[in-house]
Amino acid sequence: MKESKSAKLNQLQQQENHQNAHLSPSKLAKLFDPDASWDKDQLGDVLHWIRQVVGLISGLLWGSIPLVGGIWIILFLAISSGIVYGYYAMILKVDEEDFGGHAALLQEGLFASLTLFLLAWILVYSLAHF
Amino acid sequence: MATAIPLFASFKYADSLTVVGISFCTALVCEAISWILIYRTSSYKSLKSSIDKASKKLETMKTDNPSSKLTNKKSKTKKIDRVESSLKESSRDLSLFKFKSGAVVALVLFVVFGLLNSLFEGKVVAKLPFHPITIVRKMSHRGLKGDDSTDCSMAFLYLLCSISIRTNLQKFLGFSPPRGAAGAGGLFPMPDPKTN
Repeated sequence: MKESKSAKLNQLQQQENHQNAHLSPSKLAKLFDPDASWDKDQLGDVLHWIRQVVGLISGLLWGSIPLVGGIWIILFLAISSGIVYGYYAMILKVDEEDFGGHAALLQEGLFASLTLFLLAWILVYSLAHF
Repeated sequence: MATAIPLFASFKYADSLTVVGISFCTALVCEAISWILIYRTSSYKSLKSSIDKASKKLETMKTDNPSSKLTNKKSKTKKIDRVESSLKESSRDLSLFKFKSGAVVALVLFVVFGLLNSLFEGKVVAKLPFHPITIVRKMSHRGLKGDDSTDCSMAFLYLLCSISIRTNLQKFLGFSPPRGAAGAGGLFPMPDPKTN
Protein backbone atom coordinates (compact mmCIF):
# COMPACT_ATOMS: atom_id res chain seq x y z
CA MET A 1 0.00 0.00 0.00
CA LYS A 2 2.66 2.50 1.01
CA GLU A 3 4.84 1.47 -1.92
CA SER A 4 2.09 2.28 -4.40
CA LYS A 5 1.51 5.62 -2.72
CA SER A 6 5.17 6.56 -2.86
CA ALA A 7 5.22 5.47 -6.50
CA LYS A 8 2.29 7.78 -7.17
CA LEU A 9 4.08 10.64 -5.46
CA ASN A 10 7.13 10.03 -7.62
CA GLN A 11 4.94 10.06 -10.70
CA LEU A 12 3.41 13.34 -9.60
CA GLN A 13 6.83 14.89 -9.14
CA GLN A 14 7.94 13.70 -12.55
CA GLN A 15 4.81 15.17 -14.07
CA GLU A 16 5.49 18.49 -12.41
CA ASN A 17 9.05 18.43 -13.71
CA HIS A 18 7.82 17.85 -17.24
CA GLN A 19 4.78 20.11 -17.09
CA ASN A 20 6.40 22.59 -19.47
CA ALA A 21 7.24 19.96 -22.06
CA HIS A 22 5.34 19.95 -25.33
CA LEU A 23 2.45 17.59 -25.86
CA SER A 24 3.89 14.13 -26.36
CA PRO A 25 2.44 10.76 -27.32
CA SER A 26 2.77 9.61 -23.72
CA LYS A 27 0.63 12.52 -22.61
CA LEU A 28 -2.03 11.64 -25.15
CA ALA A 29 -1.89 8.02 -24.01
CA LYS A 30 -2.38 9.18 -20.44
CA LEU A 31 -5.75 10.66 -21.37
CA PHE A 32 -7.05 7.12 -21.92
CA ASP A 33 -4.99 5.26 -19.34
CA PRO A 34 -7.00 4.05 -16.33
CA ASP A 35 -3.76 3.36 -14.47
CA ALA A 36 -2.40 6.90 -14.75
CA SER A 37 -2.43 9.00 -11.62
CA TRP A 38 -4.15 12.37 -11.81
CA ASP A 39 -3.56 15.60 -9.99
CA LYS A 40 -6.76 17.41 -9.04
CA ASP A 41 -5.91 20.42 -11.21
CA GLN A 42 -5.01 18.30 -14.21
CA LEU A 43 -8.21 16.27 -14.16
CA GLY A 44 -10.23 19.42 -13.59
CA ASP A 45 -8.62 21.07 -16.62
CA VAL A 46 -9.23 18.04 -18.83
CA LEU A 47 -12.90 17.83 -17.83
CA HIS A 48 -13.25 21.59 -18.34
CA TRP A 49 -11.98 21.45 -21.91
CA ILE A 50 -14.05 18.37 -22.73
CA ARG A 51 -17.11 20.32 -21.69
CA GLN A 52 -16.12 23.32 -23.82
CA VAL A 53 -15.55 21.19 -26.93
CA VAL A 54 -18.87 19.39 -26.45
CA GLY A 55 -20.59 22.75 -25.90
CA LEU A 56 -19.14 24.28 -29.04
CA ILE A 57 -19.91 21.27 -31.24
CA SER A 58 -23.43 20.93 -29.86
CA GLY A 59 -24.09 24.64 -30.37
CA LEU A 60 -22.89 24.52 -33.97
CA LEU A 61 -24.93 21.37 -34.60
CA TRP A 62 -28.14 22.56 -32.94
CA GLY A 63 -27.89 25.84 -34.82
CA SER A 64 -27.21 24.26 -38.21
CA ILE A 65 -30.07 21.76 -38.29
CA PRO A 66 -31.78 23.86 -36.74
CA LEU A 67 -33.20 22.58 -33.49
CA VAL A 68 -35.64 25.00 -31.89
CA GLY A 69 -37.01 25.02 -28.36
CA GLY A 70 -35.80 25.12 -24.79
CA ILE A 71 -35.87 21.32 -24.50
CA TRP A 72 -32.64 21.18 -26.47
CA ILE A 73 -30.84 23.06 -23.70
CA ILE A 74 -31.79 20.31 -21.27
CA LEU A 75 -30.70 17.68 -23.78
CA PHE A 76 -27.34 19.39 -24.24
CA LEU A 77 -26.75 19.46 -20.48
CA ALA A 78 -27.62 15.77 -20.22
CA ILE A 79 -25.36 14.82 -23.15
CA SER A 80 -22.33 16.80 -21.98
CA SER A 81 -22.69 15.56 -18.41
CA GLY A 82 -23.01 12.01 -19.67
CA ILE A 83 -19.86 12.37 -21.75
CA VAL A 84 -17.89 13.81 -18.85
CA TYR A 85 -19.14 11.13 -16.47
CA GLY A 86 -18.41 8.38 -18.98
CA TYR A 87 -14.91 9.72 -19.43
CA TYR A 88 -13.77 9.92 -15.83
CA ALA A 89 -15.76 6.96 -14.49
CA MET A 90 -15.44 4.46 -17.33
CA ILE A 91 -12.35 5.40 -19.33
CA LEU A 92 -10.08 6.74 -16.60
CA LYS A 93 -11.75 4.78 -13.80
CA VAL A 94 -10.78 7.35 -11.18
CA ASP A 95 -12.17 7.25 -7.68
CA GLU A 96 -14.31 10.37 -7.59
CA GLU A 97 -13.99 10.64 -3.81
CA ASP A 98 -10.31 11.48 -4.28
CA PHE A 99 -11.35 14.54 -6.29
CA GLY A 100 -14.19 15.92 -4.19
CA GLY A 101 -16.99 13.68 -5.36
CA HIS A 102 -19.21 13.44 -8.44
CA ALA A 103 -20.65 16.92 -7.96
CA ALA A 104 -17.25 18.62 -8.10
CA LEU A 105 -16.17 16.73 -11.21
CA LEU A 106 -19.46 17.26 -13.05
CA GLN A 107 -19.47 20.97 -12.19
CA GLU A 108 -16.08 21.54 -13.78
CA GLY A 109 -16.53 24.02 -16.62
CA LEU A 110 -20.30 23.59 -16.62
CA PHE A 111 -21.39 27.22 -16.66
CA ALA A 112 -18.78 28.34 -19.19
CA SER A 113 -19.79 25.40 -21.38
CA LEU A 114 -23.47 26.33 -21.18
CA THR A 115 -22.81 29.93 -22.20
CA LEU A 116 -20.50 28.83 -25.01
CA PHE A 117 -23.15 26.39 -26.25
CA LEU A 118 -25.87 29.06 -26.17
CA LEU A 119 -23.59 31.53 -27.93
CA ALA A 120 -22.75 29.10 -30.75
CA TRP A 121 -26.37 27.98 -31.09
CA ILE A 122 -27.77 31.52 -31.23
CA LEU A 123 -25.11 32.75 -33.66
CA VAL A 124 -25.41 29.88 -36.14
CA TYR A 125 -29.19 29.94 -35.92
CA SER A 126 -29.36 33.70 -36.47
CA LEU A 127 -26.82 33.87 -39.28
CA ALA A 128 -27.74 30.73 -41.20
CA HIS A 129 -31.53 30.76 -41.03
CA PHE A 130 -32.58 34.40 -41.44
CA MET B 1 -12.02 44.65 -44.63
CA ALA B 2 -13.49 45.82 -47.94
CA THR B 3 -14.11 42.23 -49.01
CA ALA B 4 -15.70 41.44 -45.66
CA ILE B 5 -18.38 44.09 -45.94
CA PRO B 6 -20.38 42.41 -48.74
CA LEU B 7 -20.14 39.10 -46.90
CA PHE B 8 -21.40 40.63 -43.66
CA ALA B 9 -24.15 42.53 -45.44
CA SER B 10 -25.69 39.28 -46.66
CA PHE B 11 -26.47 38.24 -43.08
CA LYS B 12 -29.54 39.77 -41.52
CA TYR B 13 -27.99 39.52 -38.07
CA ALA B 14 -24.38 40.41 -38.89
CA ASP B 15 -24.42 42.72 -35.86
CA SER B 16 -24.10 39.65 -33.67
CA LEU B 17 -20.66 38.97 -35.13
CA THR B 18 -19.69 42.55 -34.36
CA VAL B 19 -20.75 42.10 -30.74
CA VAL B 20 -18.80 38.84 -30.47
CA GLY B 21 -15.72 40.35 -32.10
CA ILE B 22 -15.73 43.35 -29.78
CA SER B 23 -16.26 41.08 -26.77
CA PHE B 24 -13.30 38.94 -27.80
CA CYS B 25 -11.05 41.98 -28.16
CA THR B 26 -12.28 43.25 -24.80
CA ALA B 27 -11.42 39.91 -23.18
CA LEU B 28 -7.90 40.11 -24.58
CA VAL B 29 -7.51 43.67 -23.30
CA CYS B 30 -8.74 42.66 -19.85
CA GLU B 31 -6.29 39.76 -19.64
CA ALA B 32 -3.48 42.03 -20.80
CA ILE B 33 -4.37 44.47 -18.03
CA SER B 34 -4.47 41.65 -15.48
CA TRP B 35 -1.10 40.39 -16.66
CA ILE B 36 0.49 43.82 -16.38
CA LEU B 37 -0.95 44.54 -12.95
CA ILE B 38 -0.76 41.11 -11.35
CA TYR B 39 0.51 38.05 -13.06
CA ARG B 40 3.93 39.27 -14.13
CA THR B 41 4.82 40.53 -10.65
CA SER B 42 7.16 38.34 -8.62
CA SER B 43 5.08 38.72 -5.47
CA TYR B 44 2.09 37.16 -7.21
CA LYS B 45 4.21 34.29 -8.51
CA SER B 46 5.60 33.49 -5.08
CA LEU B 47 2.13 33.76 -3.56
CA LYS B 48 0.66 31.39 -6.13
CA SER B 49 3.41 28.83 -5.67
CA SER B 50 2.98 28.92 -1.89
CA ILE B 51 -0.76 28.35 -2.31
CA ASP B 52 -0.14 25.44 -4.65
CA LYS B 53 2.33 23.88 -2.23
CA ALA B 54 0.10 24.33 0.81
CA SER B 55 -2.92 22.97 -1.06
CA LYS B 56 -1.11 19.86 -2.26
CA LYS B 57 0.49 19.31 1.12
CA LEU B 58 -2.90 19.57 2.79
CA GLU B 59 -4.39 17.04 0.41
CA THR B 60 -1.52 14.63 0.97
CA MET B 61 -1.78 14.94 4.73
CA LYS B 62 -5.53 14.39 4.69
CA THR B 63 -5.50 11.36 2.43
CA ASP B 64 -2.46 9.78 4.04
CA ASN B 65 -4.33 8.86 7.20
CA PRO B 66 -3.48 5.38 8.47
CA SER B 67 -4.74 4.30 11.87
CA SER B 68 -1.88 5.60 13.96
CA LYS B 69 -1.24 6.22 17.62
CA LEU B 70 -3.07 8.90 19.57
CA THR B 71 -0.07 11.19 19.93
CA ASN B 72 0.71 10.95 16.22
CA LYS B 73 -2.88 11.77 15.39
CA LYS B 74 -2.85 14.87 17.58
CA SER B 75 0.39 16.18 16.12
CA LYS B 76 -0.91 15.51 12.60
CA THR B 77 -4.06 17.49 13.37
CA LYS B 78 -1.91 20.39 14.53
CA LYS B 79 0.11 20.23 11.33
CA ILE B 80 -3.07 20.19 9.26
CA ASP B 81 -4.36 23.23 11.15
CA ARG B 82 -1.12 25.07 10.51
CA VAL B 83 -1.15 24.35 6.78
CA GLU B 84 -4.83 25.28 6.56
CA SER B 85 -4.32 28.64 8.27
CA SER B 86 -1.33 29.33 6.02
CA LEU B 87 -3.48 28.52 2.99
CA LYS B 88 -6.25 30.84 4.15
CA GLU B 89 -3.80 33.66 4.73
CA SER B 90 -2.26 33.28 1.28
CA SER B 91 -5.72 33.10 -0.29
CA ARG B 92 -6.70 36.34 1.40
CA ASP B 93 -3.54 38.01 0.08
CA LEU B 94 -4.36 36.70 -3.37
CA SER B 95 -7.86 38.17 -3.14
CA LEU B 96 -6.43 41.58 -2.31
CA PHE B 97 -4.10 41.24 -5.28
CA LYS B 98 -6.97 40.51 -7.61
CA PHE B 99 -9.11 43.35 -6.30
CA LYS B 100 -6.70 45.89 -7.74
CA SER B 101 -6.94 44.70 -11.33
CA GLY B 102 -10.59 43.77 -10.87
CA ALA B 103 -11.48 47.43 -10.61
CA VAL B 104 -9.69 48.29 -13.86
CA VAL B 105 -11.18 45.30 -15.67
CA ALA B 106 -14.65 46.22 -14.45
CA LEU B 107 -14.16 49.74 -15.76
CA VAL B 108 -13.12 48.44 -19.20
CA LEU B 109 -16.11 46.08 -19.34
CA PHE B 110 -18.44 48.90 -18.32
CA VAL B 111 -17.08 51.26 -20.96
CA VAL B 112 -17.35 48.62 -23.69
CA PHE B 113 -20.89 47.79 -22.62
CA GLY B 114 -21.78 51.48 -22.86
CA LEU B 115 -20.24 51.67 -26.32
CA LEU B 116 -22.14 48.62 -27.56
CA ASN B 117 -25.29 49.96 -25.96
CA SER B 118 -25.02 53.20 -27.89
CA LEU B 119 -24.39 51.31 -31.12
CA PHE B 120 -27.13 48.71 -30.79
CA GLU B 121 -29.77 50.30 -28.53
CA GLY B 122 -33.19 49.06 -29.55
CA LYS B 123 -31.73 46.86 -32.27
CA VAL B 124 -32.30 43.11 -32.63
CA VAL B 125 -28.81 41.64 -33.01
CA ALA B 126 -29.80 37.96 -33.11
CA LYS B 127 -32.71 35.53 -33.07
CA LEU B 128 -33.06 33.11 -30.17
CA PRO B 129 -33.83 29.47 -31.05
CA PHE B 130 -35.91 29.19 -27.88
CA HIS B 131 -38.38 31.26 -25.86
CA PRO B 132 -36.52 32.57 -22.80
CA ILE B 133 -38.09 32.28 -19.36
CA THR B 134 -39.19 35.51 -17.71
CA ILE B 135 -36.04 36.16 -15.73
CA VAL B 136 -33.89 35.66 -18.83
CA ARG B 137 -36.20 37.66 -21.09
CA LYS B 138 -35.58 40.80 -19.04
CA MET B 139 -31.97 40.61 -20.16
CA SER B 140 -32.48 39.19 -23.64
CA HIS B 141 -35.25 41.65 -24.55
CA ARG B 142 -33.66 44.67 -22.90
CA GLY B 143 -34.33 47.88 -24.78
CA LEU B 144 -36.25 46.18 -27.58
CA LYS B 145 -39.76 47.05 -28.76
CA GLY B 146 -42.42 44.56 -29.71
CA ASP B 147 -43.37 41.36 -27.95
CA ASP B 148 -41.49 38.68 -29.89
CA SER B 149 -39.50 37.09 -27.07
CA THR B 150 -37.14 35.36 -29.49
CA ASP B 151 -35.62 38.73 -30.41
CA CYS B 152 -32.17 38.96 -28.82
CA SER B 153 -30.71 42.24 -27.60
CA MET B 154 -27.05 43.16 -27.47
CA ALA B 155 -27.02 42.89 -23.68
CA PHE B 156 -27.80 39.17 -23.59
CA LEU B 157 -25.30 38.35 -26.32
CA TYR B 158 -22.64 40.40 -24.54
CA LEU B 159 -23.33 38.55 -21.30
CA LEU B 160 -22.91 35.15 -22.96
CA CYS B 161 -19.70 36.33 -24.62
CA SER B 162 -18.29 37.75 -21.41
CA ILE B 163 -18.79 34.53 -19.50
CA SER B 164 -17.78 32.00 -22.13
CA ILE B 165 -14.92 33.84 -23.82
CA ARG B 166 -13.30 35.33 -20.73
CA THR B 167 -13.53 32.13 -18.70
CA ASN B 168 -11.98 30.02 -21.44
CA LEU B 169 -9.36 32.64 -22.28
CA GLN B 170 -8.24 32.73 -18.66
CA LYS B 171 -8.11 28.95 -18.57
CA PHE B 172 -6.17 28.81 -21.82
CA LEU B 173 -3.61 31.38 -20.70
CA GLY B 174 -3.22 29.76 -17.30
CA PHE B 175 -4.56 32.77 -15.44
CA SER B 176 -7.34 31.00 -13.59
CA PRO B 177 -6.90 30.98 -9.80
CA PRO B 178 -5.38 27.91 -8.14
CA ARG B 179 -8.09 25.51 -7.03
CA GLY B 180 -6.84 25.48 -3.47
CA ALA B 181 -7.31 29.23 -3.31
CA ALA B 182 -10.75 29.05 -4.87
CA GLY B 183 -11.80 26.46 -2.32
CA ALA B 184 -10.39 28.24 0.68
CA GLY B 185 -11.14 31.82 -0.22
CA GLY B 186 -14.43 31.41 -2.02
CA LEU B 187 -17.54 33.48 -1.46
CA PHE B 188 -18.93 30.85 0.88
CA PRO B 189 -16.00 29.41 2.81
CA MET B 190 -16.66 25.85 3.89
CA PRO B 191 -17.21 25.42 7.62
CA ASP B 192 -14.29 23.82 9.40
CA PRO B 193 -15.23 20.14 9.73
CA LYS B 194 -13.33 19.81 13.00
CA THR B 195 -15.48 22.41 14.77
CA ASN B 196 -18.70 20.55 13.86
